[in-house]
Amino acid sequence: MFDFEKAIGRWRKSFHGSEAIEEGALEELEGHLRDKVEDLMGRGKTGEEAFAEAVEKIGKKELLDEDFFQAAARKAGGRAPWKKSRFGAGLMPNYLLTAVRKIRRQKLFSFINIAGLAVGLACCAVIILYVVNELSYDRFHPASDRTYRIASRTVNAVGESTGVSTGNAMAPTIRREFPQAEEVVRITPPPENADHVLAVCGDKRFFENRVWFVDESVFRVFRIPFLQGDSGKALSDPFSVVLTESMARKYFGGEPALGKTVRLEIDYDTGATELEDFRVTGVVRDAPRNTHFKYDLLLSGSTLLRHLADYDTDYLDYHFDYTYVRLAPSADPVAFGGLLQRVAEEGARVYEQRFNRPAGKTDYFLQPVASIHMRSRFQGEIDPPGNWTYISIYSLIAFLILLIGCLNFINLSAVLSATRTKEVGLRKVIGAGRGQLARQFLGESFLITFLSFCLSLVLTAALLVPFNRMAGTELMLGGLAQPAVFLPLLGLLVLVAVGSGAYPAFLLTSFRPAAMFRGELDTAARGAWIQKALVVGQFAVSIFLVICSVTAFRQLGFMRGQALGFDLGKKLVLPVQSNISHLRRDYEAIKADFLKNPDILGATISSSVPGDIDEGGYYLTTREGDFRGAPRLLVNTVDFDFIRVFGLKMIAGRPFDPANRSDINEAFVINRAGLKELGLASPEDALGKRYQAHYNRRWKTIIGVVEDFHYRGMRENVRPLLLDIEPSLLDTLTLSVRTTNRDSVMKHIRAVWESHFPGVPPAASFLDERFDRLYRYEEQMSRLLALTTILGLMIACLGLFGLAYFTAGLKRKEIGIRRVLGASSSSVVALLSKRFAGLVLLSALLAGPPAWFAVNRWLQEFAYRVRPGGLIFAAVAAGALAIALATVGLQGWKAARKNPVNSLRNE
Amino acid sequence: MSKSLVAASTRPMILSLLLKGESYGYRILQDVMSLSGGEIDWSEALLYPVLHRMEKEGVIRSRWKTAGEKRMRKYYGLTECGRLELEAEKQSWLNIHGAFLRLWTAAEGIE
Repeated sequence: MFDFEKAIGRWRKSFHGSEAIEEGALEELEGHLRDKVEDLMGRGKTGEEAFAEAVEKIGKKELLDEDFFQAAARKAGGRAPWKKSRFGAGLMPNYLLTAVRKIRRQKLFSFINIAGLAVGLACCAVIILYVVNELSYDRFHPASDRTYRIASRTVNAVGESTGVSTGNAMAPTIRREFPQAEEVVRITPPPENADHVLAVCGDKRFFENRVWFVDESVFRVFRIPFLQGDSGKALSDPFSVVLTESMARKYFGGEPALGKTVRLEIDYDTGATELEDFRVTGVVRDAPRNTHFKYDLLLSGSTLLRHLADYDTDYLDYHFDYTYVRLAPSADPVAFGGLLQRVAEEGARVYEQRFNRPAGKTDYFLQPVASIHMRSRFQGEIDPPGNWTYISIYSLIAFLILLIGCLNFINLSAVLSATRTKEVGLRKVIGAGRGQLARQFLGESFLITFLSFCLSLVLTAALLVPFNRMAGTELMLGGLAQPAVFLPLLGLLVLVAVGSGAYPAFLLTSFRPAAMFRGELDTAARGAWIQKALVVGQFAVSIFLVICSVTAFRQLGFMRGQALGFDLGKKLVLPVQSNISHLRRDYEAIKADFLKNPDILGATISSSVPGDIDEGGYYLTTREGDFRGAPRLLVNTVDFDFIRVFGLKMIAGRPFDPANRSDINEAFVINRAGLKELGLASPEDALGKRYQAHYNRRWKTIIGVVEDFHYRGMRENVRPLLLDIEPSLLDTLTLSVRTTNRDSVMKHIRAVWESHFPGVPPAASFLDERFDRLYRYEEQMSRLLALTTILGLMIACLGLFGLAYFTAGLKRKEIGIRRVLGASSSSVVALLSKRFAGLVLLSALLAGPPAWFAVNRWLQEFAYRVRPGGLIFAAVAAGALAIALATVGLQGWKAARKNPVNSLRNE
Repeated sequence: MSKSLVAASTRPMILSLLLKGESYGYRILQDVMSLSGGEIDWSEALLYPVLHRMEKEGVIRSRWKTAGEKRMRKYYGLTECGRLELEAEKQSWLNIHGAFLRLWTAAEGIE
């Protein structure tokens, strides 16, 4: 039977706790309900039906609450005080306070946490800056997307070659015949002494190697900001020079350079060289590092016309001459191609006319100026090209170090938050919702991530100084502001913040508060597998890095230490850069003067020294004048003493013999690789064979064969080489010295030098240092790798330390009981260490195969390489294990030393 | 009937209903319903908060009265302020009404 009064009572009860319905209002509603029920019953409904309908009509508590509140509120749309805040803004100060307290209470952990991530971020930022810089070459010129360099591909009787030089007439022809080329500029190095122009300014003398003859339009094609002078007029007259800022300072100190005179010695290949006066007509900013066209002195192109009358009209490519062109957006590429074709044909015609022999077929093509640094690897590049391999390796290293930092950060954050179950429980009890707590924890991790980011900026600024010195770059912190750098970093930070906040935000907040207070929950156990995975990840990455850097250093050591096949040590190299005809004429006398000192054991003159031997070579033929399909050997011109001074080993025949003067016109020496190139079966077969060289059309006889020596480093196979006595090409003096009486030797060398080359500054360097330049990328990478490896390993150990600390805390009671029952300290240490040893070994197993793969890939770059032995892998794994156990053992030892009473007292 | 028109007319309607004497919530609902031929159906959740608000503003006042069998009812009546507000409201509604009337008769005249 339906009890109306009881139903009313229940209905009234449902309004308990309502904050909006004021006193009396409920009574009023009850009266209303009764009226309604009576009314409905009057219309024939049963009591139960009437009641249900009336209650339905009046509405539920929540609805009434809201309506009553909104009607009473002064402001429409406000939030009723008993409802959950929409933003949680009211608790912000409290969250912030909690976060700050947490950081302050756990100083060590917070520091490890923040610093680890900051180091990772900083390394990553530096490397990203470097990579972006490498990729940014020549993008800053006006309309760089429409600016091209003209390169050539030539096919002739002896093969195909590519180059970046054009005939001198190229630029004037384009200017004359193709109006859609907005700008054309020629850049020409001093014809015969591009790498050592003597500059005299008052009593100061310098050698310059970034000197160029340029057309006036250079300032419109390349971005070269003027500090003094007028870019429109600076290079219109012959014998004008525009200096960079630092050159102006070097020559004139603080005085204004404009209008002053610099004397330059330029070898125009016309026979005599003499000092000429150049008037300074402008000062420009130093060339930035990220351009392939680097300059110190820019000379007016019209100067060249005074010495080379055909500078504007010669279609042949005698002297290097780089031509750049900026095409109008509407330019017709087909028409331009046609023009280049005509220039090539004209060149071929001139060639055949002049030399009365068929010319090869030359095709000219365009290279976008911004692609030159990374993509162009032709003969005669102005600037050493960038190296994709190392760009990719650096990017990978950056990624890995950051990965370690992030894993560590996430791991430690998770560990730390597990100590906060009580806080979470309390917040839940007083009404915090899951979403609210999640926002609190995420906010906290965003705060810490932000702190790390700030710290990493400081670290980056500090790291850039040594990095720039090492890599020869000019990276600046401001570079981080570029969107290409900034946006990925920002995205990554957000990812890290969310990742590290996720554990407490989503796992911790899912527990029931009562359980949290009673301590029933082994919160750590529930997240433990995540932490283990993170530690394994960190260690795997670290072990990977260690294997890579150990191998890199082994390879470097191998390339320096391995019997190179020649004597690298204690050789002083003196390039002769001025008064070179004196050297070529009187080299025997000059050598004799040097050898007067007993500490100078040998002296030799050559056109290059090992490490510098370039692509230049001779085609050799056995049929007079017929070089079709002829073998080609690189060539180094030497004197009689070269083989002896460099300690080359003869495998057949004899070396050049000073007693036998006819060797100058009669003899070749080749290396073992040359045998194969010439198609000879054995060293003995080579002796007595006669060949004609295409260079000077002279016939000479092979008198000896030397064992292969690594004159171009161990990165490539030893190439066929010809040693030839040709005094007209000699320019480098090498002295074999004993360094015991260093001072007196150097004094003697300076004195002899001054007597033969007065006023020429000597530019001496040791051969082993020069040779190392061949390995500069490897060297740079190894150092970078070593640095990141150490940092990565440190961070990983910090992470492990954190985990061990935490585990020791968790197992406090267990350790206490074991101690009470008589366990020794060492067994407690072993207890803790056991599980971590497994993790580290697992990391080693995971890291091994990718490391093996990466290391082998890298070693493919070298023709002569070390073998990555399994021993190294085992040693690295053992080392990692030792470090890990030391870290964990320390924690275990501390835990074991605690008085068990303290840990067992509670409960 | 649109929500905004109901909202706009609630207050003047309550004031007008109370003009003929004191009344209580349930009666007011019934009266509105029958006056509008069932077109206007206020909900309780709308009516009571509005009544309380008007009471706070002083345009109506309330008192509890016994209604037999120990039951109490809260009766609302107009105050002086309420009368003034009703006068003003009445004027406004009449103006609007007049405007519509003229418009519609004019429109019919053209047809």
